[in-house]
Parts: sequence; structure tokens; C-alpha cells
Amino acid sequence: MRVTQSMLSNNMIRNISNSYERLAKLQEQILTQKKFSKPSDDPVAAMMGMNYRTSLNQVEQYSRNISEATNWVESTDSALGQAISALQRMRELTVQSSNGTYESDQRDSVNEEIKQLKQHLVDIGDTQLGGKYIFNGYDTNKRPSDTMVDGAPSYGTDEIQVEVFTGIKIPINTSGQSTFGEALKTGGTIDQLMASLKSTDEADITNRLAELDEMINVFIKEQAKVGAKQNRIDLMTDRVGQQEVFAQKILSSNEDVDMEKVILDFTTQESIHTASLSVGAKVIQPSLLDFLR
Amino acid sequence: MVSTFMGLETSKRALSVAQSALYTTGHNVANANTPGYSRQRVNLSATESFPSPALNSPRIAGQLGTGVEAGSIQRIRDSFLDSQYRSQSSKVGYYSSLSESLTKMEEILNDPSESGLLNTMNNFWGSLEDLTTNTDNIGARAVVASSGQMVAETLNYYYNALTSVQEDLRYQIGVEQSGINTIISNIQSINEKISKVEPHGYVSNDLYDERDTLVDQLSQFMNVKVSTVFPEKYGIVDKAAAEGLYNIELIQEDGSSYMPPINLISVNHTGIVGVNNIEVQTDSATGAISGVKIGSTTLQDYKFAGALTGLIESAGYVEDGTVKGAYPDMLQKLNDMTEAVVKEFNYVHSQGFVVGEPPTNGGNFFEITAGKNAAQTIKVNADIIKDPSLIASGGKSNAAGDNENAHHLAAIKSKDFTQYESGNVPAGLNGTFDTYYAGVIGNLGVDSASVQKDHSNAQILATSVDKNRQSVSAVSLDEEMTDMVRYQQAYNAAARMVTLVDEMLDRIINGMGTGGR
Repeated sequence: MRVTQSMLSNNMIRNISNSYERLAKLQEQILTQKKFSKPSDDPVAAMMGMNYRTSLNQVEQYSRNISEATNWVESTDSALGQAISALQRMRELTVQSSNGTYESDQRDSVNEEIKQLKQHLVDIGDTQLGGKYIFNGYDTNKRPSDTMVDGAPSYGTDEIQVEVFTGIKIPINTSGQSTFGEALKTGGTIDQLMASLKSTDEADITNRLAELDEMINVFIKEQAKVGAKQNRIDLMTDRVGQQEVFAQKILSSNEDVDMEKVILDFTTQESIHTASLSVGAKVIQPSLLDFLR
Repeated sequence: MVSTFMGLETSKRALSVAQSALYTTGHNVANANTPGYSRQRVNLSATESFPSPALNSPRIAGQLGTGVEAGSIQRIRDSFLDSQYRSQSSKVGYYSSLSESLTKMEEILNDPSESGLLNTMNNFWGSLEDLTTNTDNIGARAVVASSGQMVAETLNYYYNALTSVQEDLRYQIGVEQSGINTIISNIQSINEKISKVEPHGYVSNDLYDERDTLVDQLSQFMNVKVSTVFPEKYGIVDKAAAEGLYNIELIQEDGSSYMPPINLISVNHTGIVGVNNIEVQTDSATGAISGVKIGSTTLQDYKFAGALTGLIESAGYVEDGTVKGAYPDMLQKLNDMTEAVVKEFNYVHSQGFVVGEPPTNGGNFFEITAGKNAAQTIKVNADIIKDPSLIASGGKSNAAGDNENAHHLAAIKSKDFTQYESGNVPAGLNGTFDTYYAGVIGNLGVDSASVQKDHSNAQILATSVDKNRQSVSAVSLDEEMTDMVRYQQAYNAAARMVTLVDEMLDRIINGMGTGGR
């Protein structure tokens, strides 16, 4: 083939510009730490990347939801714990007052304490988490003790559910009605106990003990349920946490560059580029003209 | 007997031929870097020898050579390589304009990235999930409203940016139309010049080069076939060196002619018939290309490849009453997708309850202008932006903590288009929003990557054909220098011959007939 100067120089320009293009591509990869910047750079990876991102986002969202659920469950647990100790104090006082050794003014002070404890239960029933009343079903913005029915606070019964994984919803609240509602209702055990203390009927007070035990049991059962819920949520936390790591790993292996490889490629390309420049300079220079005198 | 001065005549011819060969060498060197220039060579031939056979020819030993003449000056070029190059060049043009417009589309859609629609959408779904855990939090509600607005704005931006590129493409089609017509008329005027030179026996190499360069340019825009024609009235021309007039036919991508053939420049045995300018016609209703008129024919299949076809296929054209092409397709997909999601979202939203008294159902969350492009007109209901408490999070009550409908709203992300309860989802949508959109972007990536690959392949082929062409036609300075030395020595030798004849004549004139002096 006949080769001319213009062919050589065109060839050289083309090769050098290709070489620049490769350098630019590698530089972009190093700067962005991504294998591709446009879907056409690697259509399959781009499409997979979009799906991976979506699932990563979802997993991250679920872990946010789970931490919200944990907040609820933990506050519920501690509120129920407080309620139980209040009830247990009530039981202690009841036992003390049932053996007939107390004077009437001592019974009055017991009565007073029980009244305070009842108020304490009402306060616990009004527990708020981030401004939300957690024992009031859907009516999270209403204070249960403000909505009195028959002279006692009433509690909502709806279940507030949180999605902790695709299609898996956990009810995060505990109905206040079956616990606080029952305990505080007008004419309920506590009211009767206070009435018995006033009337100094010891047998009657003893009768209340069994009822109090029943009531404490209800709270303990509810707390156990919350504990089970807590366990379930902990399991979900682990699972979602693993998923998150996994999703991040897939996403990263799909689109993040292998730094050592890219830097090595870049260095190789750089030396190729330098070589082609110097070869170009040597090839273009001499022609017959340089030797004709 | 030969003439006394015949030797001088022979040498004079040699001198002048060596001179024109040197001048041609000079011309080649001067044009070594001229684009489209093909090197020229003087065709040397020995002149008719003496005596020529005839009745009264002198009876001498013969025949005696009478020297050299420059038969013609011919450019060195291979028309087969030209036609190969042009068919590649039209492919390069086609794929280059197509890949450019698809790359622009990818840049606008900008996915996968932190700022693409998918991420914006994910943020929106996430804000709805947050709403399920914080239904009475006005902040969480405001985030839903504003991330919904971001979704709407992203779609608006996509739509407007794509349509503005589409406008640019249409404008470019107009520019290329006039460019093509200019090239055609330039080729035509060179044809005319050539038709005035050739019948006189001259070979207008530089005009040929110029004409071929123009045809090369034309071939980027559309696939053309060149045939050379010598009109009858030309008389006798040196057909080996002369190239005749160019008849330029528009051919299809695969190299076949249209039926009937379409000529951009028609030349026949009577001479130049005329030119057919191209006119790209636009459908007034949609703005899409409705046809390309060449002379009296209107083409609607755009199979003539080249950059013009690439642009038309990107910007959109009318086929069987519907608008097709890369940009219209993408806009259509965006519109369909938006419309489906908006309708479903509004449907679910209106089933829910707004917090507060009296219990009221939710209104429209998103708004689109009916009958207009959904992606262009989508926005979040202004009332909801003003008062995010109007977001219907409750499923069966107006209580603050009722998050049932918020769950339903967040669940739309994982709902198949076929499960949409609002009904009338535009045809062709499948999968969930996420998978559908990832598919759209994936397809765009595949299309763009394959067009880019085709483009670089066509370019490699064109480059290699061009290299072959250069190998034949380009000027090599070494070669020219060698020729220069050769012709210079020939010139010197011829001059020496003149001196020799001079000395011979000196002997005859001054040294003879002086016997005894």
C-alpha cells in the first residue's frame, strides 16, 4: 500500500484523539467512582442498578419504619411497666389495709394514696410519644383523659400498623381500652376498693385483692405481648439490616469501580498515550526533503 | 532528409514537457494538504515518429523518434473506492445524528443517578411511608406534598427539555435541508462548468476534485449513487482522462434504487436535464415530519439513510397516521406513565379521609390538564401544598392516627399497572412503575449503545475505505521529491541536448565551406 504523509498524520491524529477519549473515560471513572455515567455505557448494569437502588431505598425506608415501631413498642413497654408497679403498690396497700390493724385515719391516707395512684394510671394512659397519645388508637391527637365517658377516660381501640417489610405490617400500638379503660372505669375495681376502704369492710377489701391480681395479670399479659412484638421487631431489624448490607453490596459491585483496576488501566493508558505522542513526532518529521540538497 | 533543426525541436519539446511535469509536481506539493485533492500526473507519450508512412514520404532509415509530448494531465483516483466511501459515509451520518440525539436524551433523563426521576419517585414513596408512621405530623405531610411536587417538576422538566431538543432537531432538519440543496446546486454548477471545458478536450482535474468533495459531503446526509454520463454532443473527448457529468441518484440504505428512480441531479444523453431540490414537509397538526419531497415524488419511508434520516427518525415522523420516532416515543411513554400513576394516586387518595371535622374524603393530590400532555402539565394540587393536612391519610376515619390510606398510597409503588383500580390505564404499560421506568431507561441505554456501536463501526469502515482512497490519491512528498529530481534531470539532459545540437550547428555554419581559408 502506498502511504503518504497526510495518511500518517491523519492516522496519528485519529489515534491520539482515541487515546485521549480513553483517558477521559478512565478519568471520569476515577472521579465519579462509577463504572458508567449514562445508561448506554452499560445498559444492563444501568437497568439492574435502578432496580437495586429501588430495593435499597425500600430497605432503608423499612429500617426507618422499624425504628419508629421500636420507639412505640419501647414506650408502650415502659408505660405498661410503670402501670404495673403502680398497681402492685395498690395491691400492697390493699393487703396492708385488709388485716384490720389500721386505724380509720390510716385507711384514709391509704385511700388518698390509692386515689393518687389512680391518677397516676390516668397519666400513664395519657403517655405521649412525639406528641402522639399512644394508647388512644387512631385518635393519637386526643388526650384520652379529656374524652370522658361515664366519668372515666375512654381509649381508642384501632390498631396502628407499620409496614416493616414488603407486605408485612406490625400493629405498633396497644389498645388502652382493655388495660387502662378497664382499670379506671367508673365503678371498676379501683373505685370499689376506695369505697371499701371508706366503709372499713375488711372482708370486702380482701375480696378486692383477687380482682386487683386479675387486673395486674391483664397488664402483665399485655406487656408480654408487647415483649413478643419487640422480639419480632428485633428479628425484622436484623433481617432488614442484613438486607441493607446485601443491597448495598450488590449496588456497589454493580456500579462502583474497582479502584486498583481503574488506576492500573489509567497508568497503562497514560504510557500508551505518551508512547504514541513520541512515536508520532518521530514518524512525521523526516521526508526525502531532509536529505535533498 | 530530416530538417536541420529537428534536434532542437525534439529537445524543445522535452524541455517543455519536463517543465509541465515539474509544474504539476509543484501543484501536487502545493496541494498536499488540500482536503479532497487527488494527485495529478502528466501522461507522457512519444510524439509521432518521422517519417509517417505516406506515398511521398522520404526514403530514409526510419522511423526516427521526434520526442515527447504531454498527452493529458490526469488525476489519480479510484471511483470504486469513492462509491464505497460514500455508502459508508451515509451510514456514518445516519448513526452519528441518531446517536447524538439519543445521547442527549440520556443526558436529560439522567438516570440512574441521585437526581433522576427514579430517585425522586423513591423519595416520594419514602415520604408516604414516613406518613404512615407519622400521620399527624404536619412536617411529614409537608414532605409528602413537596416531594410530590418534586416528582411533578422532574416530569415537567423531562418533558420540556425533551421537547426543546426535539425542536432543535426539527430546526436542524431545516438547516440540513437547505445545506443539501446548496450542495446539490453547487454540484450542478460544477457540472455545468465541466460541460463547458470537456468538449474542448481539456481535463478539469481540480473541478473534478471539488465535485467529488461535494458529493462526499452530500453522502453524509443521504445515500447517493453517482453515475458518469458523456452527452452525445460532446463529440470526441479523451474518455480515459475526462470524467463526464455526474448524474446523482438517491438510493435506499441497502443500495437499491427507488422505483421509479429518484434523481437529485439528472443528466442524460442530451446533457444536463436539471436538479431536484429536496423539501422536508411537516405535518401542521403534530409538527412531525410528514414526508420528503424530491422533485415530483414525496417519500415517506426515509430509507435513504444519512444524517437526514437519523434526524427525522429522532425528531419524529408520521407513519400510518401516528407519530413515531425516538423523541415522540419517549414523550409518549412519559405521558402514559404519568397519566396512569396520577389517576391511580388520585383515585386512592380520594378514597381516604382528611384529618379533622367534619369527616371529608380526599380530593385530587395531583392535577393534570385533561387532553394535554400529562407529563408536561402534572402538578400537585395547590390547596394541598398550601395546607398539607388535606392529604387523605385516613382509611376509614378522620382520626389523626388513622394511617390506613397512607399505606394504600405508599403501596401504589409496588402495584402492577394491571392492578390499578382507577381503570383506563394507557395501553402498553406493564409491571410496576419502578420496573416499567427502569425498563424504559434500560431500552434507551441499549438503543443508544447499539447506535453508538454502529456509528463507531461505520466510522472505522469509512476510515479504512478513506485510507485506501488516500493511498491511491493523496500526495506523497517523498514521491513528489523523487519526481522532481527525475524531471529536473530530464530537463537538464534536454538542455544539454540543445547545447549539443548548437555545437553541431556551429560546425555546419561556422566550421564548414571555408576550405583553403
